[in-house]
This record gives sequence, C-alpha cells and structure tokens, in this order.
Amino acid sequence: MWRFLIGRMLQTVLSMLVVISIVFVLTRLSGNPVHLLLDVNASERDQQILMHHLGLDKPLPVQYAIYVKNVLHGDFGNSVLSRRPVTEHIWERLPATAELGFVAMFLSVLIGVPLGMYSAVRRGGALDSAARVFAVLGQSMPAFWLGLMLILIFAVVLGFLPAGGRGGIEHIVLPAFTLGYFTSAAILRLTRSAMLEVLGSDYIKFARLKGLPERVVLWKHGLKNALLPVVTFAVMLFVQFLGGAVVTETVFAWPGLGRLILESITTRDYPIVQAGVLVLSGLYLTGNLLVDFLYGYLNPRIRHARA
Amino acid sequence: MRPRLSIAPLLVTALLWAAVAPSIVIDPREAGAQAPSGTLTVAVATFGNERWLPHLYVGAEDVVLKPMYENLLTRDPKTGDLAPMLAERWKVADSGRTWTFYLRKGVQFHDGRGELTAEDVRFTFATLAKDGSANSLAPEFRLIKSMEVENPYTLTVRFEKPFVAFGNKVNQGLFASVAFIQSKRHMESAKDDGAERHPVATGPWKFVEHVRGDRIVYEAVENHWRATPHFKRLVFLKVPEPSTRMAMLRAGSVDVIEIGGEYADELKKVGVRTLLMPNVSWVYIILGGQWPTKATYDPKVPWAQPDAERARKVRVALNLAVDKQAIMQRVLGGLGTALGSWLMYPADPWASDALKKPLPYDPAKAKALLAEAGYPGGFDVTMNLTPWPGRGFLPDVGEAVATYWEKVGIRVKRRPVDRAVFASDFRARAYSGVALAYASPLVAPEPWEVLYRAGYTKAALCLFVEHPKLDEYVDRLAVQPSYQERVRIMRDEMGPWLTEYVPGVAIGSAHAIVGLGPKVGDWPVIAGHMGFHNWEYVSRAAR
Repeated sequence: MWRFLIGRMLQTVLSMLVVISIVFVLTRLSGNPVHLLLDVNASERDQQILMHHLGLDKPLPVQYAIYVKNVLHGDFGNSVLSRRPVTEHIWERLPATAELGFVAMFLSVLIGVPLGMYSAVRRGGALDSAARVFAVLGQSMPAFWLGLMLILIFAVVLGFLPAGGRGGIEHIVLPAFTLGYFTSAAILRLTRSAMLEVLGSDYIKFARLKGLPERVVLWKHGLKNALLPVVTFAVMLFVQFLGGAVVTETVFAWPGLGRLILESITTRDYPIVQAGVLVLSGLYLTGNLLVDFLYGYLNPRIRHARA
Repeated sequence: MRPRLSIAPLLVTALLWAAVAPSIVIDPREAGAQAPSGTLTVAVATFGNERWLPHLYVGAEDVVLKPMYENLLTRDPKTGDLAPMLAERWKVADSGRTWTFYLRKGVQFHDGRGELTAEDVRFTFATLAKDGSANSLAPEFRLIKSMEVENPYTLTVRFEKPFVAFGNKVNQGLFASVAFIQSKRHMESAKDDGAERHPVATGPWKFVEHVRGDRIVYEAVENHWRATPHFKRLVFLKVPEPSTRMAMLRAGSVDVIEIGGEYADELKKVGVRTLLMPNVSWVYIILGGQWPTKATYDPKVPWAQPDAERARKVRVALNLAVDKQAIMQRVLGGLGTALGSWLMYPADPWASDALKKPLPYDPAKAKALLAEAGYPGGFDVTMNLTPWPGRGFLPDVGEAVATYWEKVGIRVKRRPVDRAVFASDFRARAYSGVALAYASPLVAPEPWEVLYRAGYTKAALCLFVEHPKLDEYVDRLAVQPSYQERVRIMRDEMGPWLTEYVPGVAIGSAHAIVGLGPKVGDWPVIAGHMGFHNWEYVSRAAR
C-alpha cells in the first residue's frame, strides 16, 4: 500500500512539473503583457523599464529556472497587473468558486443519484422515461443558454431571485443549478447504467434469494457497488467545477477562480495564469489520488490487490 | 523661422475666464440638494487594469476612477469649452510656454488628508512623468521644463516649446483624461502599496472597497465643494456578459448598465430607458503601411506605394466600395453619423459642410479606379478583426468593410486577433498591408491633437500615417496660441488636405448608449465624453 501511495505521489509531482512547463511556454507565446499595461504611445524606454521590473527582459530559460525555483519555495510571484502577490488573488477568488462548486455538486448528487437509482429499479416505467428526458435535456442544453433562461424566468419575469453577482444565499441558487444541472444529468445516467449492471449480477440475485429486504439489497449491496464509477466521476467533476465553471461564472457575474484565470489569460497576467493552472491541476491530481483511495474503501477487491 | 505670435488673445482669454469662471462651475445646489441616500448600482463590462496610482493606470480605468478623482480643469457640458475645476482660474503666457494655475482654496482630500495645495499638483505631475510611467499622458507631462510653487495655491508650469493645448491634458471632461490630482501627503505616508489599497482624492465620492474583478464601492462626500451626490453609495459591478447586464437591469439588480449600440433595439422593445452619449468616438479603417520613412515600409502595399497618385486612387476606391450609411445603421444600430472628414465631429467648428460629406457608395467607380491604379483583378488584403475595450463593435465593422471590398474584387483574409497579440505589431508599425477597424475616443477635442500621436513623424510613435504636409500642419497648430486661428487652419487647410489625401476609410462618428433603471433621474453628460462620468449629478427619479 505504501509503495502504491509513494508511486502515485511521485507521479503527481511529475505531472505538475509537466503542467507548469507547458503553461509557462504557452503563456509566453501568447503575447507580451507590457503592451497591455502601457499606453500605445509609451516610449521604448518605458517598455524596457517595465520589462525589467517584471523580469521579462531575461532569457526564457532563466525566467523558467527562476519561476520553478520560486514555486518550489512556495512563491508564485506577483500579478503583473496589480503587482500584488498571486496567492492573494487566488485566495480572494477561491471561496466564491468553492462555494459554487460545493452547492452545485451537492445539488448534482442529490438529484442525480436517487433519480438514477430509481430509474434503474423502475426501468421502462414513467419515472424512468421522465428521468431520461431530464438527463438528455441536461446534457444537451449549453450552460450559457440555460443560465440566461433561468435569469430571464426567475429574475426578470418572476423577480424571485437576483440576476447575478455574489451575495446572500439567494444569489447562489441560479448559478449552482445551472452548473449542477449538466452534472446531475450525467450522474443520473451513470448511476442508472451502473445500477442496472449491478442489479443483474449474481450477488444481488443471491441476496434476494436469501430473502433480504429490497431496501437492504438496493441501498447496501446495490448502490454501494454501483457508486464506484459515480464517485470517480463526481470527484473529477467537482475539481472541474473549481476551474471550469467559467461560463457559469461569466453569465452570473460570479467572481470565481475560473473567471480570474480567463481574465488573466486575456490580459496576459502570466503569474496568475500559471498559479491558477497549478492550483487546479494540483486539485485535479489530488482528486485522482483521493479517488484511488476511495476505490480501495468502496471495493475491498481493489484494496486487497494493492496490499 | 518661428512664426510671430501674439500673446494678447491668450491674456484676453485668461482674463475672460477669470471673470466668467465662477458662473460656469455647476453649483453644488444643482447636485444633491438633500442629504444623499440610497445606492446607485452600475454594471460595466470592464474595470480596466484596476490600478489606483497615477503612474500605473493607463486610461482605460477612466470610468471607474472618475467618480473619486478630480482634475484642474473640466469642460463646459454645453459648449465643450475649458472650465474651472480644482483650479478656479488659470493664465497662459509666453505663447503657451507658461501655464499658471490658481487653485481653489479649502478643497479637502478625503479621510482628513488635508487641504489641496500646489505641492500636491506638482507631485502629481512629476509622478505622471516619471520613468516607467504607464499613464497615457506621460509623454505630454515629460515636456514640462520646470514647475514652480508660487504660494500654496498657485503653480506655474513651464515648457520649452509652446504647449497650447495643455488645458486639455488636465481636463476632467474628456475620456482617459487621467491627470487626476493626488495627495502628496497620503502617497508618501501610505507608500505605493497602501495608496493602492486605499486611494484618497478630492472628488465627490470617496473610496470604500475594491474587490478585484468584482466590485468597487464609493460613498458620497457630504458638503463637497463642488457637488454633493444625490445617492449615498455608488457601486460598480464588473459584469462582462452584456445579456446578463441587460437582465440585471430589467430585474432591478442594477440601475445603470453599459451596453453596445447593437442592443439599442432590444432595449427599446423591452421598454428600458436609455441615455444617449453623442459623438464619443470616431470610426475609421486604418490602412497600415503609410510610413515611407520607417524600416517596416513595404512599397508593394497598393495604398502606400511610392507612386502617390496610384496609391491615392486605391484609397479612394476602398472608400467608394463601402456603404458607410449602411454600416452606421446595421452595425452601429443607427447610433452615429457617416462623415467624410477626418477625426472631426458634426458640431465641431472646423467641420464644414464640405468636409463632413462622405465619399459616396459607388462600387462601379471603385472598380474603375482600381483598374486605373493597375489592379483590375483586385489585390490581397488582411483585415484584422480586433476588439478594443469599450468598442466591441469594431470586429463587426471590419467584417462589414471586408464584405464590401470583396464585392469589388479585393480578396480579403480575415484575421481575428487578440489585442495583446496585435499590440506589439501596432507599436512596431509591423502591419504594412494590413487593414483594421478602429475607433478613436474623443481624448482631445482638436483633431491635430489626435494626429500628433497618430500621424506625426516626429512624435514618439506614429501609428497610422505620416506625411510631410501633415507634419507641417501639426507643427503650426501645436504652437498656435489663438484658438480661432487653429479653427481656421483645421477648417480651411488641414481638413481639406486630409479629405483630399484620403488616409483611410472614414466611417464617421459613433454615439454610445446607456441603459437606465427607474431609480435614475436626470444625468447631465458632457457631449463627446466616452464612458460614464458626472455621477455626482445623477439625480433620483421622482416617484
């Protein structure tokens, strides 16, 4: 088990090094922030001063070496735009993103798992058909369009909820539903197909033959086994929410991490892009690691094989 | 030989100003007569670079900085003439080489940072000009030879050469007029980091909170020397998506939205009130490569080739091929006026009827001219489709022009390109043979001031076009102290020359609109000022 753990951690570190290298090169290929920070009439001397101040006048390999060394010391540098520490910006935005991600994930699981389970149990019934329609709509509707429709109905026409921005609990309802609808539909479909497979297996038949109550068969033996792929999917989706909710964040003017990274790409704020991607890939890889352990917990066969 | 100049008109003007100035300042009672109350929430697309220090903000922050900061001068909302602000009067002497500003007494900086003095103004101007300054006015402020504080309320600024338009560089009434006066005491005690986190100024709104990329909150300064706002709080929200801004306005979440002309019909359909800001930018197609003295000059570019007559025929053909009226109607939602004159607005005193008339839409004649110029089968052009902040319509204008050009046989390659990527080519003049739609905001009232940057060989940067004749006009206008004479030169000499020369494809002047919620009453805006301003004068609607 320890060997497995250490191996996975080494893989994680290596992957992050690859990620930051790629991001470092790509950001520098995409344009010079100095051109956006200075007026078009700025002199050559002003450009040189700013380039020097930002450390962009050094050769690329030197910039890269400095960057990696600083990252290893926990220093992500300062934003080229605000000149404040990048970590300050990330911490400023992370709570909003985490809040949205948690609520959206909670909604997705709350809707997707029970609906998927009952859809499998009542296969071919009215509930199954309704659930499948829900899933198809959820997966085919773009978040951008859904968000605007929800704003139009619940904010403009009915006036129940605010149209955008971050504030009280009422502000999170529409963005969380927009973000969570797609994933709840995906979780529903995944739970349904996993449950269908599990319900057809020998051990479920055996459990029923043993005369176990249907509730125990479904919840203890069925759902626990069917949850394996769902958990992997849900964890990965949650991590994606943290960085990939940019469309929802933009539509609802939600000041999250995704929007920060997108805006930083537009303004060529290299340090924020690099740190943002590093944080997200770190979360993604940590999520992967967590899934591996959860697999072990949920499936004893995997646990024993690793031992 | 230096032209003979008379300082009499300048002195007369200054004395006149001294006499009439107090009557031009908007009376504080015209603003909030009662104590400020309620919150005015505004949704804008961008906050710019979100900087608060004079040497770090570029100019795009104008909209969100203006409520808090003030300049020495402003523009009369009705006539556009220079008007007093922090300086209650000013004197121009030595043919424009010496500017003396007499500051208003008793103006206080926020948070008890003391009274505004000439030392603050001197400190601000020096900060704007320092090495590495990002401020768009840095090149102008570096022309200052010396500054003398005569007494706490008098500052004399001296230039080596006449700087007749310096009043337009210290002016609150223009977009990107970012010579905002700072508190020397605050900047020195708080240092850059502290001053960035909690800026201090003299305006009618004081800083409360800035959450980067999300919101900026201001609070009204009661009993402000100039105008006590009607609203207690002013909140700017950054909402990049225009549909969301529209929905937020309709839902009552915000009271004012920034919106493009393309939404004018939609706003009308859903019954949203709008405010028109007329003639805020001048739209044209830049034809890159007209810089024969520069290393990046390419003699093969059809509109910039050494044969001046053939090149001109090409430029005229490119104009005749485009239906400017249709672009104004369909791309800009009817919010603008098609014009033939260069960098002029319909009401400008130098915009004569002859100059305003655009070249007609005549594709047949365009084809004939192209053939005469030696291009019967057209030629290849790259059209950059680059959006600029606050002017999101530009790629659509470029696309429309490209489509018209194709109809006369020109082969157009569309190149959607981000501003950050194109900016380096733009600075280095490395875009010979490339066309792009551009909109010059009204950052200076006189066209030669804009050409000083965009079309003057001796300037630090010449982005667009250079020509000895143009240099000659700019040289004359830059030192001409008589406003009336400058008007005459622009109307009778430079304007006709530009119209005849046809440096690019003139589309015309564009207006801007603003969506308003039911809370908003009157809002007096300064004609030609792009972007939001005058928040302190926005009144509450009568219920």
